Amino acid sequence: MAPTPEEHSNKDAFILRVRKALGRTEPIVHMPDHPSLKSNAVRQQEKVRTVIARNEARRSQTLDRLAKTAAAASWNVRRAGDAEEAASIVAEIAQQSGVKNLVRSAEDVFKRVNIDATLRSVGVSPAILASGRTRSRGALRDMAFRADMGVTGVSYAIAETASCAVTPRRGVARLASLAPSSLVLLIEPEQVLESLDDFFAITRLNRMQARGRTVNYFNFISGPSRTADIEQTLTIGVHGPGEVHMVILG
Amino acid sequence: MAEVKSADFKHAAGRALRDEKLQHALDHVMEHFVGARANVIEADFGDESWEAMRTRAAAIKQSTLEHLDYYLDMVDKSVRRNGGHVYFADDAAQANAIVLDIAKRNGVKTVIKSKSMVSEEMGVNHVLEREGIEPVETDLGEYIIQLAGETPFHIIAPAMHKTRQEVSSLFQEWLKTAPTQDIKRLCVYARDALREKFAAADMGISGANFIVAETGTVCLVTNEGNGRMTTSAPRIHVVLAGMEKIVPAIEDLALFLRLLPRSATGQRITSYNTFVGGPRSPSDEDGPEEFHLVFVDNGRLNLLRDEVMREALRCIRCGACLNHCPVYQKVGGHAYGWVYSGPIGAVVTPPMTNMKVARELPYASTLCGKCKDVCPVKIDIPRLLLHLRHKVAEGTAGERSATWMERLFVGQWHGAMRSRRALEGKANLGRLLTRSFARGGKVRRLPFAPMVSGWTASRDFPAPAQKSFARLWREELSHESGSANGTEQR
Amino acid sequence: MKVLRRLGVDVSFPEDQTCCGQIAFNGGFRSHAADVAKHFLDVFENEEQVVVPSGSCASMIKVYYRELFEDDPETLERAQAVGERTRELSDYIVNVVGTSDVGAASEGLVTYHDACHLLRELRIKEAPRSLIGGVQGVELQEMEDSDACCGFGGLFSVKFPEISTAILNEKLKNIAESGASAVVANDCGCLMQIRGAMERRGMNVRAVHLAELLAEDGA
Repeated sequence: MAPTPEEHSNKDAFILRVRKALGRTEPIVHMPDHPSLKSNAVRQQEKVRTVIARNEARRSQTLDRLAKTAAAASWNVRRAGDAEEAASIVAEIAQQSGVKNLVRSAEDVFKRVNIDATLRSVGVSPAILASGRTRSRGALRDMAFRADMGVTGVSYAIAETASCAVTPRRGVARLASLAPSSLVLLIEPEQVLESLDDFFAITRLNRMQARGRTVNYFNFISGPSRTADIEQTLTIGVHGPGEVHMVILG
Repeated sequence: MAEVKSADFKHAAGRALRDEKLQHALDHVMEHFVGARANVIEADFGDESWEAMRTRAAAIKQSTLEHLDYYLDMVDKSVRRNGGHVYFADDAAQANAIVLDIAKRNGVKTVIKSKSMVSEEMGVNHVLEREGIEPVETDLGEYIIQLAGETPFHIIAPAMHKTRQEVSSLFQEWLKTAPTQDIKRLCVYARDALREKFAAADMGISGANFIVAETGTVCLVTNEGNGRMTTSAPRIHVVLAGMEKIVPAIEDLALFLRLLPRSATGQRITSYNTFVGGPRSPSDEDGPEEFHLVFVDNGRLNLLRDEVMREALRCIRCGACLNHCPVYQKVGGHAYGWVYSGPIGAVVTPPMTNMKVARELPYASTLCGKCKDVCPVKIDIPRLLLHLRHKVAEGTAGERSATWMERLFVGQWHGAMRSRRALEGKANLGRLLTRSFARGGKVRRLPFAPMVSGWTASRDFPAPAQKSFARLWREELSHESGSANGTEQR
Repeated sequence: MKVLRRLGVDVSFPEDQTCCGQIAFNGGFRSHAADVAKHFLDVFENEEQVVVPSGSCASMIKVYYRELFEDDPETLERAQAVGERTRELSDYIVNVVGTSDVGAASEGLVTYHDACHLLRELRIKEAPRSLIGGVQGVELQEMEDSDACCGFGGLFSVKFPEISTAILNEKLKNIAESGASAVVANDCGCLMQIRGAMERRGMNVRAVHLAELLAEDGA
């Protein structure tokens, strides 16, 4: 077996060979001409300002469009007039699914949508899936795998593809929206964007402004976990939730 | 590296053609993919905007390749800034050594894998097993073929050739589950078995669909959720990626995420997209503490070096060219004899592995051009196949491998076609010979022409006319007058 | 020839012509192909318009000569000039002569096979259909997947006859299911493939070249 290269030990030689294969001898000094790469923070901010203004202006149409694309992508879509209604919808879903172990994330949306109270009123006691001071990696994982429903908020919801961008962080475990067989996502109106382009424009600006505190991980959840790997027969709920609910405020 | 069995293409194809069950699966799946793709493109974009998107995607990927040295460096810096580690492996052996080293350093016993074609090239599973580390594929299709000890049949539907009965027997044997015909039940068996592995694994290995240079973000496109699991549950995450996977900017992803799922399965988007650029932050609740990105060359330089072949590296592995290829539709994936199959497999396998061993593949195409029309990054596959054929016929000593019979045939043809007189001389001889085997204007058997005897096994060869058109022209047609009031000149 | 003359076109057949070179080009033998292609250029260079009755030959001349002579600028220029003056038969009649009615007459249901190079290299799809539509007594009946390859592919059918036949079987099935009494194609390779198999199997469908159909006068 070849000797193990240390990290980077081969980098210069590797890149040199690539350069040679491209018929060049000198490294490229100036950034190649690619508009979406060259836009600086000021221009990006300008762009995002336009994106946000447009999304604000068309919010109600975009909410309708999200509800439509989501339904087409096998989401169960519920729309709530206010936070109170949203909280009772979550309880209703939990009750209908016969949920025993429900986990939720700890994030701001639950300060407005008090699902803990409505859930308890139907006999479900939600647990917060977070490591806290005592819970080890294994314990958190076991808790997530035992749960049959997870409830979390989103960073954004994209109407074009019915994609919910979920960003794990303190209080929001990766497994909360992945391990339980059923998932409920709460979406607030100002989180809804028209298109993938809007989302990535904002993401880029956020990174530029983060100054070293970069977000290394986020997901799109765009429907139930699915496979067609056996005889091309669509089956839902393989590794992720087979049942996905979107509760849209507004 | 995974063994290259492409020299056996013709026989393997023959076996596939005679396998009725396989033919049934191919018919069914290909028709489904082709229909779904056409429907979603028409519903969402229409031909014109789709064409514009393909053009833009092709330009972005091509430009990235032309500046690949620059972008590799940029990814390296971005990932390190995110707290991850980056490696550069020349070949499969080096890449395997890197993975093994990371695993051993961390006392890893079980590795969970989400789909990675590069890992198939490397044959990393065997390497891990040899060292007593258990690799577990978690994409359901990949898991099935891992249990069966096979290679992927199709780039996005690796186990499409397996029936539910075969899957059930595999699960009975390996998971000790009860026999069942219920596909949903089979999925639950796999889910439960794999949950145990997710909980036990110390290391996750994934591929990469796209790697964003400016942010160091690896984008994974999956439907099952195994990609998320692989990047969430274990303590260490290793990404194996071909060096061509880079796109420059995060905003480019919008375009590629529109093109890939529609081209692949006809979905508007897949159920999950995972974006990961480094280890968890200390304040995160869960996620890997270590993140390693391994760039792999493994023959890609041979494509990059050749200005004609370079565009093959634009490939985003959607499988549309397989689904639309009349040859793939009949022979399936295994006949191609290595990791990549179908038209793109025929293009990349010879330069990436061995021109002589894989010499049949560039010819395994009718050049019908459907692949080129459906490719989301506009790879001109027929042109690349013709380029490879040129190498097989007239390339350098290392590439050239046409048989003596092919040379003889082309030599004779060449002699005949350089002038009409030579042509008629040879044609008269051929006419005489061929007509002697003809019955009623058809030739059922051409025993003196071993190269074409397979042709006449299923079709008649037209017996040449008694007179060539040129002779007919000379003797009859040229004397008939054209229309007197002809306004057109020839 | 007959058809073009009927349309009042002054046609000639340069007798020294042989082949466009595609067979060697597709085999990878580019130096041989280049010799033969140069002969083609010698013969046709001074013609005002070259009409080719086969999609793959026309695409060789119009598209692939560019590739063949990419390192030979002088010949490339000649090839491009000839390529520009080269038209495939149906394209020529419909778009240069400007008619879909060549005064032909036949009978029955006719289905049309899109030859791959004609369709995907030259993007000619409507012209042959409108010519078929212009034949008196004939009705065009589209088959399923008319744009699917017939499996010929020149050298491909010689090297891999089994696969070629399997692809062809799909085509024959679609032809039969269309209920047509004749299949028309505009490429000699496809026709050789389709006709050969239909004759071997005794299918009751004629395989005819577009030019042959257009030459029929109902007699």
